[in-house]
Amino acid sequence: MLRMVVLRLLAMIPLVFLVATGVFFLGQLSDVDPAENIVGPNATEEQVAAVRAELGLDRPALEQYADWLSGAVRGDLGESLYTKADVTTSLTQALPITLSLTFGGLLVGLALGVPSGIWSALRAGRAGDRAVSLLATVGQAVPGFWLGLLLIIAFAIRLPWFPAVGYVPPGESLTGWLHCLVLPSVSLGLIAAAAISRQTRSSMIGVLQQEYVRTALSKGLSKRRVVVKHALKNAAVPVVTVVSFQVTTLLGGSIVIERLFAMPGLGALAINAVVRRDPDVIQGIVVLTVIVIVLVNVLLDLSYAWLNPKVRSL
Amino acid sequence: MSEVKVPAAAVSGRSGSRLLSRLVQQRATLFWAAVVLLVVLAALLSPLLSPHDPLKGNIREGLLGPSADHWLGTDKLGRDVLSRLLYGARVALLAGLEAVGIAALIGIPLGLLVGYLGGWPDRIAMRIVEGVMSVPFLVLAIALISVLGPGLTKSMAVVGVVYAMTLLRLTRGQALAAREELYVDGVRVAGAGDRRILFRHILPNITPPLIVQVTLMIAGAIIAEATLSFLGLGVQAGQASWGSMLSDAQASIRESFFLALPPGLAILLTVLAFNQVGDGLRDLFAREAKGGSLGVNPVHHESGSGQPPPPGLVAADPLLRVRDLTVSFPQPGAGRVTVVQGVSLDVAKGEILGLVGESGSGKSVTAMSLLGLVPDPGRVAASAVELDGRELTGLSFEELRKVRGGAIGVVFQEPIASLNPAYTVGDQVAEVLREHEGLSRAQARARVVELFEQVHIPEPDKRIRDYPHQFSGGMAQRVMIAMALACRPRLLVADEPTTALDVTVQGQVLDLLLELRAETGMSILLITHDLGVVADVADRVAVMYAGQIVEGGPTEDVFRRPAHPYTEGLLASLPRNVRRAGRLPSIPGVVPPPSAWPVGCHFADRCPYARPQCLETPVELSARGDDRATRCVRAGELTLAGVGDVPAAGEPLPPAAGRPVVKADPPLISTRIEKRP
Ligand code: SF4
Repeated sequence: MLRMVVLRLLAMIPLVFLVATGVFFLGQLSDVDPAENIVGPNATEEQVAAVRAELGLDRPALEQYADWLSGAVRGDLGESLYTKADVTTSLTQALPITLSLTFGGLLVGLALGVPSGIWSALRAGRAGDRAVSLLATVGQAVPGFWLGLLLIIAFAIRLPWFPAVGYVPPGESLTGWLHCLVLPSVSLGLIAAAAISRQTRSSMIGVLQQEYVRTALSKGLSKRRVVVKHALKNAAVPVVTVVSFQVTTLLGGSIVIERLFAMPGLGALAINAVVRRDPDVIQGIVVLTVIVIVLVNVLLDLSYAWLNPKVRSL
Repeated sequence: MSEVKVPAAAVSGRSGSRLLSRLVQQRATLFWAAVVLLVVLAALLSPLLSPHDPLKGNIREGLLGPSADHWLGTDKLGRDVLSRLLYGARVALLAGLEAVGIAALIGIPLGLLVGYLGGWPDRIAMRIVEGVMSVPFLVLAIALISVLGPGLTKSMAVVGVVYAMTLLRLTRGQALAAREELYVDGVRVAGAGDRRILFRHILPNITPPLIVQVTLMIAGAIIAEATLSFLGLGVQAGQASWGSMLSDAQASIRESFFLALPPGLAILLTVLAFNQVGDGLRDLFAREAKGGSLGVNPVHHESGSGQPPPPGLVAADPLLRVRDLTVSFPQPGAGRVTVVQGVSLDVAKGEILGLVGESGSGKSVTAMSLLGLVPDPGRVAASAVELDGRELTGLSFEELRKVRGGAIGVVFQEPIASLNPAYTVGDQVAEVLREHEGLSRAQARARVVELFEQVHIPEPDKRIRDYPHQFSGGMAQRVMIAMALACRPRLLVADEPTTALDVTVQGQVLDLLLELRAETGMSILLITHDLGVVADVADRVAVMYAGQIVEGGPTEDVFRRPAHPYTEGLLASLPRNVRRAGRLPSIPGVVPPPSAWPVGCHFADRCPYARPQCLETPVELSARGDDRATRCVRAGELTLAGVGDVPAAGEPLPPAAGRPVVKADPPLISTRIEKRP
């Protein structure tokens, strides 16, 4: 088990390297010149060149790359060309916000998606099932930021229950933190819930037809026990797969939601960096997200092992 | 080239018209396709349909509510919302087409290529795809947009590149599969001709999933466009896009919430329509299995004919008494079909009753219905199901629960599939004890070890910690038997308990059942298609055909002098008789489906003795002698061939017999020895 984790973590290194390298050299192809952005539209050719030299942007690409890479392995991801802020520091400040949102969204997604999927599967083909399936179908077509907008209108403006924008760190006020996370988490999570519900329903339907479910019934167990103990654990494997996709989607989706709720997470960093092309910041964000996603997937692999004893004994 | 038959054209022609007729049945898909069409028309005709210029507005007429002039009101800058919405459809669809077009142009040819080449180009391509797909879509899009710079065309090109990865993977998988297939068929894959075959072979396979995927991708791209425009990375500021309209709506959210509705609903409806069309197409190509829900159904009480069944099916001191058991299922277009018709039988205390028939005869459904385990839409009714004098009909699921696993134990056909792969076998056996007898964890564990010893599982205290996949079929069946025996049932229902096992293991499991019967005095209802198994262990036999019992009586009598042509046919296909006759007689044909059962004798279309009178009226079970029953109008006149003189089986066991009679005496028909050389 431990070996598997270590192997997975080691396998992460080439992937992160590949992605970082890809992003770096793609950036070199860009015709957006940060130096021009910095000196402004009225600058002369010489001024631009001077800034470029000062920033080290005139060096050969390979040299810049080697420079970045040697810093990166030591945890130094460079600095912003514009604000001179240290990228590693900015990221460590922004990441908790994004992760809170992602996790909140996942929580909402699981809390709604799994029970509704089970409920739906148990009455497959009947009216209740069709209603849930319809909701899930509509849910998958809703853009998250629109949902967030509607939630702001309903629960921050019409009914002033939650803050419309802003972020309160948990260190400052724990309740304030939870309070400000509710609306963004729900707008992220409802869409995840739709996908999770659909998957739970279909794998539950598959499992309910398995022979061991009939065996469990033949033992005289209650329906609840048959469903919760015997069926659910087996139905969970494909659901976990969908959850791992959802983590990726939620992490991406939180960029938009952060923007909507004016939260200073990775999304805010990313959008500013993209508009004016701030290579170190972008690279840092991409590398960090890949690492987070790989870690989440390692965790999920561990849960596969718990769910499926065959994997464990390999 | 001529050596490979590519029937694709012919097949697609036929399946094409079938798909079309199925499409017509899918009203919902047609409806959503019409919605898609409307959006497309709105986009195409937006310059004609728009009442105002989408880009210009009078700032003094800002934030107006809906009116005759501005159906959907105006935004902060006084621009007409309806006009912007219509132009937004244009942007959305163009963006969707651009992204999906790029995805298809890159993904499909590359997928075909790497799938065709295989080897290292394939491995490298798949590594890259894996890397790209491990980054969240939006993060990746943003990283790439930072390279290209913002702007709708560039952004959607980026989305297209990301989507291309999905199409690449899909196409590559299909290409690989097709290539394998051709290799298996022994075709060289070289030269231009063969390559053409390869692609002609792949395309029909890959088109359906691609169509589905592309439709769903358009929906995804429309959301991506709206998202990027909302973030300011898509359309130019001021331009009409559903995403940028929502961004404007957010800016004036405190003054007017209405502005958030039209663009959001437009996105929702369009995306939903594309998704629904995609799902509908997927259903067209492959239908999802219906079903689900738990297979539980109580036995309803219905008064029957009141006539006692003929001898041969009744016992003097019955443990189980079943009267007029009927099971029916709804069938689309045919109302209900009855799959078990008026089954009445007894199982005496300590007796083994063999219930025999081919698959489709209704024997398993009969057994499952007694326990309320018939799958959901089915309906079970009987005038009586008595277990040891207790009436089971009319009991609810909860009341029947105490019987299942308590007084009645069940063993199924596929032991490994019947055990839950996610829990240890010890846990699964202990569960019955904890449920019915309220034992503590430790008590249950000790009892499980005892049970494992009783069914001769070696090293029981070790094996209770193993999972089902660590067991052989025979050992797993012993676990199932231990589970069924846990609460000392009076009746064991064994549904094809040996069918899935090796021949040698079959004999051991049957021996175990006989041994346990001798130890515990329980009765066994043994369901099987294998007359050899019946001959080995059953005291009495009931033969089922097409939902009815057609013959019943003591095993030995029935085997020597069958009274029903169907039993004769079954006996004739036994291995020993086959050898004697030197040919392989099996009854021609199969059991007809329930909806095709005739009013008269169900066996008529396969019966060598059939006469016109057989089909006229329903054939009733009638007595033959004082311990036999048969359902044949010609029973009196026919002399049917049975099995030759052989010693009897199923005699009462000597009380302390460690090994059952079957082992000691030559059996009536030993399947264990003769089934396979
Ligand atoms: S009733 Fe007629 S068709 Fe049916 S088994 Fe008897 S002889 Fe054959």
